[in-house]
Amino acid sequence: MAIAILLSLVAFAVLLPTYGVAAQWRVYRSGLARERTENALKHLLRQATDGHSASFRSLKGELGLSDRELLSLAERLELEGLIHSDGTHLKLTTDGERLALHVLRAHRLWEVYLAEELGVPVDRVHAQAERQEHRLNPQQLDRLSAAMGHPDIDPHGDPIPGPDGVVPEAPGTVLSAWPLSTPARIVHLEDEPPLAFAQLIAEGLKLGQVVRVIERTPSRLVLSDGENEFRLAPMLAANVHVVAASSEPARALDGVLPLSDLPSGAAADIVALDPHLKGFARRRLLDLGFTPGARVRSELQPFSGDPRAYRLRGTTIALRREQSDRVLVRALQPERSR
Amino acid sequence: MTEPVTTPADVIREAGALRRSLEAGFREEVVSSIYGEVERVSRRAVNDQGSRTLELDQQIDRIVTSRLFGLPLMLLILAVVFWLTIVGANVPSAMLASALFAVEDWAAAWFTSRGSPDWLTGFLWHGVFRGLAWVVSVMLPPMAIFFPLFTILEDLGYLPRVAFNLDYLFKRAGAHGKQALSMTMGFGCNAAGVIATRVIDSPRERLVAILTNNFVPCNGRFPTLIMLATVFVAAAFPPAVASFVAAGSVVAIVVLGVIFTLGVSWVLSRTILRGEASAFTLELPPYRRPGILRILYTSIIDRTLFVLWRAIQTAAPAGAVIWLLANISVGGTNLATHVSSALNPLGRAIGLDGVILLTYIIAIPANEIVVPTMLMIYMAQGMMTELESLDALRRLLVDQHGWTMLTAVNLMLFSLLHNPCATTIITIYKETLSGKWAAIGALLPLALAFGVTFLTATVARWLF
Repeated sequence: MAIAILLSLVAFAVLLPTYGVAAQWRVYRSGLARERTENALKHLLRQATDGHSASFRSLKGELGLSDRELLSLAERLELEGLIHSDGTHLKLTTDGERLALHVLRAHRLWEVYLAEELGVPVDRVHAQAERQEHRLNPQQLDRLSAAMGHPDIDPHGDPIPGPDGVVPEAPGTVLSAWPLSTPARIVHLEDEPPLAFAQLIAEGLKLGQVVRVIERTPSRLVLSDGENEFRLAPMLAANVHVVAASSEPARALDGVLPLSDLPSGAAADIVALDPHLKGFARRRLLDLGFTPGARVRSELQPFSGDPRAYRLRGTTIALRREQSDRVLVRALQPERSR
Repeated sequence: MTEPVTTPADVIREAGALRRSLEAGFREEVVSSIYGEVERVSRRAVNDQGSRTLELDQQIDRIVTSRLFGLPLMLLILAVVFWLTIVGANVPSAMLASALFAVEDWAAAWFTSRGSPDWLTGFLWHGVFRGLAWVVSVMLPPMAIFFPLFTILEDLGYLPRVAFNLDYLFKRAGAHGKQALSMTMGFGCNAAGVIATRVIDSPRERLVAILTNNFVPCNGRFPTLIMLATVFVAAAFPPAVASFVAAGSVVAIVVLGVIFTLGVSWVLSRTILRGEASAFTLELPPYRRPGILRILYTSIIDRTLFVLWRAIQTAAPAGAVIWLLANISVGGTNLATHVSSALNPLGRAIGLDGVILLTYIIAIPANEIVVPTMLMIYMAQGMMTELESLDALRRLLVDQHGWTMLTAVNLMLFSLLHNPCATTIITIYKETLSGKWAAIGALLPLALAFGVTFLTATVARWLF
């Protein structure tokens, strides 16, 4: 009797629709199949963009599958009309390319969302986007894109394909080929391989930063942004793309300092918000009234020194140092401050 | 002659093309122009009456957030609020209790005279009704004092200053400064505190605040803490200062709870909720004269009655369960005794005993009934009880049931740290829409409570 009850309970747990083990397993399998398909297509697209041709061997290295799994995957893709092969080389069909571009778009939009709306550190967004990119359909992507104001580039500077599958041209020259002491704005930091990218971030390089190459030798390349110097190996420099910068960074302008450095009781006019501050955090500061031209006074400093409160537009608003660092102000002369 | 037709699709396409030519800073321009317009309107319509109140505000702010007075002032205000609640609630609590218990006696007698069977009378009046009466008389007076006091602080504009002062601690814990607001709300009711985390806009930090809200004791747990503080701590002092000592030790427990809040937030931010402290912006509103009528309305209607109503909903069934456990006998002893002796070894290991553990299982729906349930099982009397005096209570616990200072300390710790009540767990589920977070919200504090009390019990036994 007890065994019968136990057996029927187990059967129930396995066979229950949607929540049963069997149903969950099917969901997991189909998710895995979709993930593999899309990763394979993405690889083929990347190889095509880079001007290489893809083969079984390169695909195998990318996906880490056994020979048998790889063969059945390739067979399925060919059957679905996503790729065609001429024995050794694999190519995307038009349908395959459309799907691959969708995945690429999903990946880059996710990266923007993670970095700018959720504040995930930029060297961690790639890994998370790799998992999330398989979960949205084109309509959902359109909505995500619209909600973020149709971003053109991802947090590394890679262009985001449009809904029509057109990839905007990635501008920029590789940093290794940039002339000495000409101001350049960083527009792209290559996020693959992750280790090289982590090193660039650790050096303190950021998208939008204006730098000059001040020294170039076969073993290293030295950059300066006016305050700090960055030393890069030539290999790393090949992962950075720049364009000609029209002007010097705002921070270097005369008398401009971050709000956090404003002495207690002093007044200042807001010059700009740091261009690296994006997404939700930037909108929040703007909504509170931290707009260029507004008058602000450093008001309160608690016993801990942080956060500090600022008087702005008739209200008192407390900001942590991380936020007040991002507001660039020009201090007023004391006699004018009130 | 035909006009060129413009369809919505054309407009969208045109906008899409123009969007690309926008400067990066167009958002700033939009917001700036909105603010510019607002300023123009307000200059025309608002007559600024000078800035005397502003200067007063600034002076108060400078004191309230100063290096010297900031923290002590916060603790002092907290202590005063607790002291007023403890002292003020005593008499009305006793009056309510005797009135409601008189109703119970009268109704039970009336039932018996009408020939209703004993089990029905007992179940309805000594079970369900007595549970209700306990909760109402224990909870209503302190809440009716605590919530208005709390609302006054809120109305004055003091609470944002608390968040401002404490933010650096929360920042180091990887949490949001506004967690200080939801935490203070938790003193009233943890379920309300969990709802109050809506002011935190980062999802990660909001979850941290939700999962740690339980570590500040709510109104329902204060009776337990106050009883222990009065019976075991304050009893050692002369009566004149006893109430201050009781309030002081409750404040100490509360500070410990805040330390646990920060510590657990810190651990969560480095393990399952990894991430950096995000943007924090907090408006410090001008100080205002509190509106007494509005305070009474919001604190009595919105908070007191709301919390009381849901306590009643959970206390009535709990009262029924207690009565059943105490009155159904198997093999000569009642169920309560059976279960509590089964739990005894576990209870002993953490410096408590089986009865206390059973009490906490019964009290999952509402923490308010912990003290009466515990006493009821101890006295094996068959219904929830109120003892005549604190001395009798002390004799019962120490002489008959072997309580020591360790039991009292560990019970205080357990009461502070253990799993939240059913309402709070349900609220966590509703706020996160995730069974996983609700389960973590319930089990994490429980595991911590067992761990900490086991540690103190082991250390105490090793030392003494």
